[in-house]
Amino acid sequence: MKVIGIATLCAIVAAPVAARDVTIAGWGGNYQDAQREAYFKPFAAKSGANFTETTYLGGLAEIKAMVDTNNVSWDFLIMGGSELQLACDEGLLEPLDWEAIGGKDDLLPGAAMDCGVGNVVIGNGFAYNSEVFPTPPQDWRDFFDRDKFPGKRGVNNTPQFNLEYALMADGVPPDQIYEVLATPEGVDRAFAQWDKIKDLLQYWESGAQPVEWLASNNVALSTAYNGRIIMAKREGKPLEFVWKNHVVNMDGWAMVKGSPYKDQLTEFIQTVNDPENQAKFSSLMPYGPSNTLAATHLSPEIVAGLPAGDNIKEAAFMSDAFWIDHLDELRERWSRWSTQ
Amino acid sequence: MHASPRRPGGARLAALVLLVLPLAIYSFLYLMPIGSMVALSVDNGELGRSLVAFRDADRSDANARAAALLTDMRAMDAGTQGATARGLNQNLAGFRSLFLNTARKSGDIEPTMAGLVAFDPRWAEEQYWQVMERNTAPFTLRHFGQATGLVLDDNGRLTAGGDDIYVQIMWRTLVIAVQVMFVTLLISYPLAYAVANARPRFAAFVLVAVLLSFWTSILVRTTAWVILLQTSGLVNAFLLWTGAIAEPLQLIFNRFGAIVSMTHVLLPFAIIPMMNVMRTIPKSQADASRSLGAGPIETFLRVYFPQTIRGVAVAAGTVFILALGFYITPSLTGGPRDQMVSFYIAAFVKESLNWGMASALSVLLLGAVLVIVAIYGAARWAMARSGGRA
Repeated sequence: MKVIGIATLCAIVAAPVAARDVTIAGWGGNYQDAQREAYFKPFAAKSGANFTETTYLGGLAEIKAMVDTNNVSWDFLIMGGSELQLACDEGLLEPLDWEAIGGKDDLLPGAAMDCGVGNVVIGNGFAYNSEVFPTPPQDWRDFFDRDKFPGKRGVNNTPQFNLEYALMADGVPPDQIYEVLATPEGVDRAFAQWDKIKDLLQYWESGAQPVEWLASNNVALSTAYNGRIIMAKREGKPLEFVWKNHVVNMDGWAMVKGSPYKDQLTEFIQTVNDPENQAKFSSLMPYGPSNTLAATHLSPEIVAGLPAGDNIKEAAFMSDAFWIDHLDELRERWSRWSTQ
Repeated sequence: MHASPRRPGGARLAALVLLVLPLAIYSFLYLMPIGSMVALSVDNGELGRSLVAFRDADRSDANARAAALLTDMRAMDAGTQGATARGLNQNLAGFRSLFLNTARKSGDIEPTMAGLVAFDPRWAEEQYWQVMERNTAPFTLRHFGQATGLVLDDNGRLTAGGDDIYVQIMWRTLVIAVQVMFVTLLISYPLAYAVANARPRFAAFVLVAVLLSFWTSILVRTTAWVILLQTSGLVNAFLLWTGAIAEPLQLIFNRFGAIVSMTHVLLPFAIIPMMNVMRTIPKSQADASRSLGAGPIETFLRVYFPQTIRGVAVAAGTVFILALGFYITPSLTGGPRDQMVSFYIAAFVKESLNWGMASALSVLLLGAVLVIVAIYGAARWAMARSGGRA
């Protein structure tokens, strides 16, 4: 009995050491399906490597555990921009060799990072059901206006983006929100806006919930990712995304430190930076490309649903640097505010 | 097992050791993580071990402090710099970027106070130096301070007056666990009675119905409740159709939703122990009680119920302790005011890599459980004693 137990334990410990396929971790769902077509398959064809996929749900705990115990079971993964930078600072990611990768100047500003590359441009804004509100809400002022647009609001339970939205509703121009938010008075201003509709909030955890709730009239308005709303619209649901003053952020690809497939890193990053591959991704999943050359491969109908071109003329750009410094503090204040 | 009158010797001793060995291994494997959790909650090694030259530097000499800090920064690898910056940022927002930017350029900065301030004027602010001074020891009480709302004053003593959000959350966790325990007992007592006393076919049906939900994935069960209870869900649609209500009720994403779904998950843990006790009570006792003139209510209250208390107590204890640790179910069916302490522990582990804070909250939760178990044990002991005297 004990012998079997020890043997099993050894097998569990020893298993990851044996050769395995290249493992790619993504956010799952349609998002990962589109990435498989646009990036994973071309990468496998070019490098000759077999790949398997797994799901990553955010946070640094899993990656830190892998690196600290020297048991790296993922190779490539896609992360939010600020988490990518945090993981890089903690030494959890392999640094990139931009000389070998090349093409740095074609990418959006901020996309080429020390340990990763911004790849997916996401619009964070709010959406409504066009059957419920024939006169549509225009901007964040309307989102916080409980008389003009009565009903519950779906909101992600995090200060990130939400404090930016509140300041824009209070009249702060998109390019000044982080200056204001860096002061205690600015944070108070943002929370004062949320106080106005606190009793109407219903918190979502996953990006699929706003779509379900809006379509079934569970909430009147909801913050949402542009991609989920545009996809629902393509499926015939009467949902609309408000492009005015949405906040743009980037998800990026990186490699876990100590991965046995370090040789493939440059090739993988080149594959995800390729403008044609990015255009393919954006046509399958309505998020924007980080390579400025990708737009030429996209039709105007596709671009109309992306955080790109005219849609980002009045957008705010999320500051990873601000959130890396302030996330701990503001998350604590947000959770104190939301639980009381 | 009764004690053997003979002294164990030779083969007997070996057999005993072999029998005890799995328990010893198990206890070790069980206690070790708890020990490391307690250690993590006060560990400040990430800061204490990396700011070594700074710790020994003369506090009154600003230039010596600056030079010592730069020496420490140069001695750290990139990962240690990141971990130190994270720890400092937990104390004071904005410290991360200040520390990392300085650390990366530490080779080029003149090792004086003026050199540091020229690199970044924030180094002239006393608050950053105070945070580092507070964190040169290998141990810290700041996580417990934050968890209990007690603040560390300048002398390193704990005083009241901080933010007690986690105390409120701990209290809320206890309240929800008690609420769930009562609702679960109320629902499962009659069900357990039915399984124990009904005709075999009906009893089997109830038991299978209970166990079927026991074997279903917790996520599936929780999602089913979301579908049933949401604003446009089946329950609201039915109530609107019957005319009982005019506006849909808010049945989920609040305390009601959290308690309903948690109760459903925990029902089998209450039914099975109560059922086992009820099955041992002979039916003839009720007949005897009735023949001696007691009505059905008196029979239940004086003959049947007291004998089931043992099962009820086991069920209550199991449900309460399991409910304390709930995380997924209330996070999917409760509102922000119904999140239990495990939710915040998970957030600290997963999102902010603040394992010290997560450990401190876990230690408090463990402490609360131990206190409650001790009170429960003392109450049972007292009851047994007074019962013995009566």
